[in-house]
Amino acid sequence: MNGIWANLVRELRAYFFSPLAYIVLTLLMLINGFVFTLIVSFLNDPRAGGAAAPMQLFFGQTLFFWLVLLFVAPVLTMRLLSEERRSGTIEVLMTAPVTEGQIVVGKFLAALLFYIVLWLPTLAYAGLIAYYSELDWGPVASGYLGVLGIGALFLSVGTFASTLSRSQLVAAIATFTLLIPLFVFGLLESLFNNEALKQAFGYLNLWQHMDELAKGIVDTRRLVYYLSATVFFLFLAARSLETRKWR
Amino acid sequence: MIEAQSLTRRYGDFLAVDRISFSVNEGEIVGILGPNGAGKTTTIRMITGFLPPTSGRVTVAGRDIVENSMVARRELGYLPENVALYTEMRVQEYLIYRARLFGIKGAEARQRMSEALERCLLTDVREQIIGTLSKGYRQRVGLAAAILHRPKVLVLDEPTIGLDPKQIVAIRDLIRGLAKESTLLLSTHILPEVELLCDRVMIIDRGQIVAEGTPDALQESWVGNPVVRIELETPSADAAARFAGIAGVVDVRPDAERPARLEIECESGRDVRAEIFRAAVEGSLTLLELKEAKASLEDVFVRLTTTEEARLGAAAEPAAIEPQGEEVPS
Repeated sequence: MNGIWANLVRELRAYFFSPLAYIVLTLLMLINGFVFTLIVSFLNDPRAGGAAAPMQLFFGQTLFFWLVLLFVAPVLTMRLLSEERRSGTIEVLMTAPVTEGQIVVGKFLAALLFYIVLWLPTLAYAGLIAYYSELDWGPVASGYLGVLGIGALFLSVGTFASTLSRSQLVAAIATFTLLIPLFVFGLLESLFNNEALKQAFGYLNLWQHMDELAKGIVDTRRLVYYLSATVFFLFLAARSLETRKWR
Repeated sequence: MIEAQSLTRRYGDFLAVDRISFSVNEGEIVGILGPNGAGKTTTIRMITGFLPPTSGRVTVAGRDIVENSMVARRELGYLPENVALYTEMRVQEYLIYRARLFGIKGAEARQRMSEALERCLLTDVREQIIGTLSKGYRQRVGLAAAILHRPKVLVLDEPTIGLDPKQIVAIRDLIRGLAKESTLLLSTHILPEVELLCDRVMIIDRGQIVAEGTPDALQESWVGNPVVRIELETPSADAAARFAGIAGVVDVRPDAERPARLEIECESGRDVRAEIFRAAVEGSLTLLELKEAKASLEDVFVRLTTTEEARLGAAAEPAAIEPQGEEVPS
């Protein structure tokens, strides 16, 4: 526990001291604000029919959401372990009484917490809608649950990728390379006529997942998928960190 | 305190450390000496548990560093060669973080921190960001972090590398102070450092211990026969033969570049300086200099690690050189 907590605190502090974090935060607020404005003005048009709720469109119905997620995960995680290896700080870290698993989990949790901070400003959108109109908080909550689950999955992939190289750039590219298929595979669902294949790809269809969650449909299978995949990638990260010893 | 048994480490086909065994007793300061690439850092990394050995084992304070790693690591303070620190942190933040890694929290952590800051003369820079500190200060921050949890064993890899002479003196004083509480193992390629600090020295070359003993014992046993250096006013062809005739003289070697200088090797324990003087007078040779040459640890080191002769010697009689903890063959 000491190892997890110490690394979590240190890493989180490091985020807030790095300019990159503020660039990401600003960019995310700009993009989300722009998307939210678009959605609201679109729904205000009488021709839109008023079928959808704005927060529902905001989560997952726009490509922006995914672009942001695919961009944010590598940026937040690329430094985590590659920098320890590049600078050599890993040597004193790995000779302190902490396991590889504790280090990986501590750093991942720091990334996840910072990721949550990145999303906090979007609560203002929900607040705005609730103020000027009615808002069903249930789907909003499940939408955020999706943001958290898929975010955790993406960040765990990034944490794993950052154990693979000393270079932050390589780690970021590796993360992106792993995330793209993870995201795109699900979209292949519609290409198959075979029922089993359709279901298999459907299980992985993140876009579809977010759509459901934003509507307030919480399917535990989705959450199991995010959680198990996150644990899997963190396990890989800890293992990959251990292989350092045998090279 | 440290027990290493036939430690071996391979990097692919390259044998970096070859069956090294040694032990460090409680309260000792032991130096690992060797040229660059001799396997010092690899050995140290295996002792600290950063690298698992390909074969062999290490115990620190009685605990196996691989099998019982988490417990053994608590007894160990380590300053690696590059002294990597988190440059964005303040000195005291870093020390608190290190304390947390060892499970030391709250008031206890703060107290240990100010203790370590004081011992390492860092109190003035405690608020500074590590990235803005000079190399000497960073070295001391690394040391402060290494002693924070009061380890029984302190392992320092090249603790004075890259420092200016004044900083080196400061770090040495600090190390001497730390030795009062911990057992110390330090590696270096700087000879005077070993003579100044260490109770015992291991000389490593090509992954093997080629000599071991106290600095004094090493000097004595590796000096070989005593040597007298003389310088004549003018080179003389029969001088060598004349001196070689003295009872107790083993060999006379003229200097290749300055033939007026001669090196006279005598049997050990015999002082032939008076005879040399008389022989010079008899032969009407004018002596400008007559001096007993004392081999320094540097000579021992150079002989053991650089000359082709020593290497061939080492290869020819590995059995005599390999056994550890014994007196060095003379």
